[in-house]
Amino acid sequence: MLSRIADSMYWMARYLERAGETARLMEINLLYLVEAEEDMGEVDKWRPILQINASEPLYVDQFGSGSLNTSRVLQFISAGRNNPSSIRTCLRLFRENARVARDRISKEMWEAVNEIWMGFNERLKGPLSAERAGALFVDLRNQVARFNGLVASTMMRGEAYAFYQLGGCFERADMTSRTLDVKYHIILPDLSMVGSALDYYQWAALLKSLSGFEAFRRNYHSGFMPADVAEFVVLNRAFPRSIVFSVKHMGGALEIIGLENKDATRSAFASVSAMVDKTSQQIFDDGLHEYLESLLAKLAQFHTALAEDFFQ
Amino acid sequence: MYNAGMPSSKPRTPYHEFYADDFTPRDHYRLLWDHIKATGNNALEAKAHESQLALQAEGVTFTVYGESEEGIERIWPFDLIPRIITAPEWTKIEAGLKQRVRALNLFLGDLYGDQKIIKDGVIPPELIYQGRDFRREIVGIVPPRGIYTHISGIDIIRDEQGEFLILEDNLRTPSGVSYMIENRVIERRILPEFFNKYRVRRVEHYPSLLLAALRSLSPRGKDTAEIVVLTPGIYNSAYFEHTFLAKEMGVELAEGRDMVTVNDIVYLKTTTGLQRIDVIYRRIDDDFLDPLVFRSDSSLGIAGVINAWRAGNVAIVNAPGSGIADDKAVYPYVPDIIRYYLGQQPILNNVPTYQMTNVKDREYVFDNMERMVIKAVSESGGYGMLMGPSSTPALRKEFVALVQENPRNYIAQPVVYLSRHVCYMDGELEARHLDLRPYVIYGDDIEVVPGGLTRVALRKGSLVVNSSQGGGSKDTWVLAE
Repeated sequence: MLSRIADSMYWMARYLERAGETARLMEINLLYLVEAEEDMGEVDKWRPILQINASEPLYVDQFGSGSLNTSRVLQFISAGRNNPSSIRTCLRLFRENARVARDRISKEMWEAVNEIWMGFNERLKGPLSAERAGALFVDLRNQVARFNGLVASTMMRGEAYAFYQLGGCFERADMTSRTLDVKYHIILPDLSMVGSALDYYQWAALLKSLSGFEAFRRNYHSGFMPADVAEFVVLNRAFPRSIVFSVKHMGGALEIIGLENKDATRSAFASVSAMVDKTSQQIFDDGLHEYLESLLAKLAQFHTALAEDFFQ
Repeated sequence: MYNAGMPSSKPRTPYHEFYADDFTPRDHYRLLWDHIKATGNNALEAKAHESQLALQAEGVTFTVYGESEEGIERIWPFDLIPRIITAPEWTKIEAGLKQRVRALNLFLGDLYGDQKIIKDGVIPPELIYQGRDFRREIVGIVPPRGIYTHISGIDIIRDEQGEFLILEDNLRTPSGVSYMIENRVIERRILPEFFNKYRVRRVEHYPSLLLAALRSLSPRGKDTAEIVVLTPGIYNSAYFEHTFLAKEMGVELAEGRDMVTVNDIVYLKTTTGLQRIDVIYRRIDDDFLDPLVFRSDSSLGIAGVINAWRAGNVAIVNAPGSGIADDKAVYPYVPDIIRYYLGQQPILNNVPTYQMTNVKDREYVFDNMERMVIKAVSESGGYGMLMGPSSTPALRKEFVALVQENPRNYIAQPVVYLSRHVCYMDGELEARHLDLRPYVIYGDDIEVVPGGLTRVALRKGSLVVNSSQGGGSKDTWVLAE
């Protein structure tokens, strides 16, 4: 298929995934604001979100430091036109890439793209209260799920589909790594605390933002042991938002695409893959933060190799 | 001066397509009218709303330039009430269009060949040589099967007497055909009962006609033809149409940067390497087609494609250089062109036209500007145009200066009051002006798709139907008997 179309299918999936994951993160954080202890200020509650969204410097640039408050962050992350990672920007680029690949996606998918984009914009008219925002995030997540259902039920299982899957899984692995890294860092500033049962709400929020709360409870019965949470999120092969799950599915997509004469991609993927074949013991010996940092770097290298091999 | 009658000698009441007089619809509209009355306003309103939602969900849009960095994407404006063309009316239109397209193709072949028509004194040489769209670079090249305009969109209007006149030939990259089809799809979905009462000829097979015509041009034979639709990209106003046609034909939609030429062969860059291309249905202007031959700053085209075309390794549709035949300064000569190549009288007449290079014509136009339309010869889409009746003195002054500076660049026509039709506007049936753009495909033979795009000037009293200037559209029914 056309290189440019492959590129668009890949990015289309990435932007949608990012928009959906960000909405989920925001939704949970809004709830968490209500649940968390009262002595925690707004700054502490929203900073991690800006970090995961990779837009903290931009925010500070725009509003100055120490100006973090709920309504401003809501607006910035949801609707910020000059925030390249805002949900609106992601959805705009999602639609733009869908337009480029318009002749490769099904009519049903295209109609859903328009519905998502126009519906979201419609609801950004008027001020975004926490209540309205919460409902908006829930609806967006549902629409994303519906869209991926349409992809599964209407799209030919060819190269275009494989690039879409690759982009979606890549973004999920990336988002999950960053979410875990930022949250883990905040919840556990001191490594000596690994192994103790900590703040229920914080861990619950992390798992809920990855849609993994219930599954985790069913698998682990000794409360929220940080090592258990990390193992679950990184290495559980059955949990669809775990890093290993995403990486294995990237591998499946690459098999359909075919890596003949694509040595850079092949070796970059091998080193990503090697990261999720480690045991939890190995990961904690090296340090979780170091592990996640190195994984993110390897994912970035993989993306570069992929772009060179396929999109140019 | 060509065919120019005194603009004031005609009756000033526009022809009404729908009504024979103030109270009775024309015969062919009677069944429709009875049905509309029986349907009632509420049901019509609901249907109008439904059609809007359908167009929105399907993303049937066009882009208006220059309003913001993202470009404004508008939903295609669609009017419920179909426009009906009777079988005898269509027979004449069809014959007239075939004749015109045949003659214009012979004309193009001649211009880029022996130029007999100039030597015989029928067309002044400066008219051609000063034309922005005459391409000296391709003189002497004969395109596959000698066809230049595989796809033409010819604009037809109806004057005050109800006579069909040719307003404009669009021979480069005429757009709108996807809307013709979308209008039909929507109309049938929203108002299936309308269709029970009439035998309406089909238009939705246009993409398969186009595909057959494109395949027949393949240098490697039609069975191995690899075809692309070449688009300038998602910000182009007709991008919806480009994707529509690529999808309907099942061919790749490509941008210039997706292709390379190696040894005069054009290739597509794919994820598995280079793939040879046989036919390019380009939706970009000549100017941008090949930076090595035309505008060197173009990033939309394919470097080397003209050499590949010259070598016969790829077909380009429509052929480069076709634009000179729809130059508005050439337009007044088309009746002579038909007589010259075919030895026939034109079946469809032109709108009377004044040449600004002719001093007498020019003075006359300047004295009567309120009753004139002045058009820049190389513009389209309603850009670069003066509508006399609605113009301001300042704008008229500006156009006098523009015309005097470069008379070859302008023509003028007396304002023709385009025919009217009823439209469903915000709960009321109101009269609006409209035109018609049928599409002509020149493949093995010349075929006119029975229908076309009826464009409506949505603003009350307006005569400008272009979608970029606030126009809308209707489904167009050509009756089978």
